Amino acid sequence: MSRRYSPILAVCAALGFILLAAPAVRAQTLTLSIAPSTIAFANADPDTTPSIAAPSITVSYRVRGNASGAWRITLVASGDLTAGSATIPITNVTWTATPAPPFQSGTMSRTLAQTLASGSGNVQQSTNATVVFRLSNSWTHNAGTYSASIVFTLTAP
Amino acid sequence: MTTIRRSLFGLVLVALAAAQALGAASTTSNVTVSATVAATAKLSLSSSTVSFANADPDATPSITATEGAITITAKGKTSTGSTITLTVLAADDLKSGTDSIAITNLTWTSSGAGFVAGTMNKSSAQSVASWTNSGSRAGTQTYALANSWSYPTGSYTATATYTLTAP
Amino acid sequence: MSVIQAVPGAPTLHRLGYHGGVMRVWAVSLVVAALLVAGALVDAASLSRTATATATINAVARLTLSSTSLAFPDTDPDTTPAIPASGGAITITAKARTTIGDTVTLVVQAADDLRSGLDTILATQLRWTSTGTGFVAGTMSKTAAQSVASWTSSGAWSGTQSYTLLNSWTYATGTYSTTLTYTLTAP
Repeated sequence: MSRRYSPILAVCAALGFILLAAPAVRAQTLTLSIAPSTIAFANADPDTTPSIAAPSITVSYRVRGNASGAWRITLVASGDLTAGSATIPITNVTWTATPAPPFQSGTMSRTLAQTLASGSGNVQQSTNATVVFRLSNSWTHNAGTYSASIVFTLTAP
Repeated sequence: MTTIRRSLFGLVLVALAAAQALGAASTTSNVTVSATVAATAKLSLSSSTVSFANADPDATPSITATEGAITITAKGKTSTGSTITLTVLAADDLKSGTDSIAITNLTWTSSGAGFVAGTMNKSSAQSVASWTNSGSRAGTQTYALANSWSYPTGSYTATATYTLTAP
Repeated sequence: MSVIQAVPGAPTLHRLGYHGGVMRVWAVSLVVAALLVAGALVDAASLSRTATATATINAVARLTLSSTSLAFPDTDPDTTPAIPASGGAITITAKARTTIGDTVTLVVQAADDLRSGLDTILATQLRWTSTGTGFVAGTMSKTAAQSVASWTSSGAWSGTQSYTLLNSWTYATGTYSTTLTYTLTAP
């Protein structure tokens, strides 16, 4: 009888081993919101306002089911600030953020996602951060109404 | 198995209207210019000597200066309507030791706008030329010495001073 | 005894009997295990939100002159046919924002001839030379604005103007003055 059932037992053991060895099955839940969703730099005199601050935005995020895994919020622009044929390099836009850590300051890029915040594990409660974007002002900026899209991405790899 | 829960969704594209129309812009700045013009007089003579050669009074009753005409350039700046004057005054008669020839024997003729003929004098300045308002003028004077058998021999000299005045 | 009941209509399974049942368990186990492993790998997550950045840049013009007065002293027209301004060159700093490709212009115009009571010196007697990118020489006018400099698109520029007044013996004595107005335009 044991001879008949030993293959089955072996299979079950193997299954159990696989189940134990495999990473715990988790239900990651990510929440991310940006308010407001506009970052507006008003017109300003370059001599008196060398750096134009936009009204702050609130980044709300939540990470659950992440165990001890890392999480990160990044920013990347769709392109330079553009108004017709006139452009302002997006690298003229920088930001500061609180609380730091996990948030950090940085400079916008249209080619490489920049880290806005990072951490590990879970953020059980919805948490807010304040981000202030600044545009470096210059007399060389041509007149126009410029725009660019900025994508915020929360990942929990 | 994984789950992704999407929270409040907002993909709002808002292009903020400009706080003010882009429009054109201009600015002005003033500069005050001032220029000072002061009364000025400048006189130049083509020759500072006038000489008269010995001559037979019968053949040459009036001896013309050897140098010929003197060119006079008078430049003056004055107020509008004012008169610029050029005069000449001899210091004394023509003298050779104790001998003298009355300076009034020296006369001149002139050419050029504003210039006038005249007779030298040792007592009062004589008008050579005059003009109204500022300007640069030029003319000539041709001196002549009245000849006479009564002149004692000698080398006579006299100094005449020209005065240009721009009031 | 068969582990798996024979199923009518499933002759393959029935024929395998005991040994076929063991094979089937092995196959199922392997498939389940594979599924479990595969499922355990699929736990990465990302979420994106988009914000729009806007910047408003208006046309603006700013002009700075190092001096707001020019003085020409009395001099001998024979030795100084063109009188330089006593304060030397004026340094001009122009800053403007305009639509890309548009021309920013700086012009100057005299309000009148130079006047001293009823006496005048023509404004056209005032001349200047310049240094700096975009700056040009010129002659003053009281009837039409004269170009001092021009540039394309936005920017900040600096240059100098050195004024001279043509001298003359015909000027009546007096203290003359006039006002020059500079206009910087960013279309």
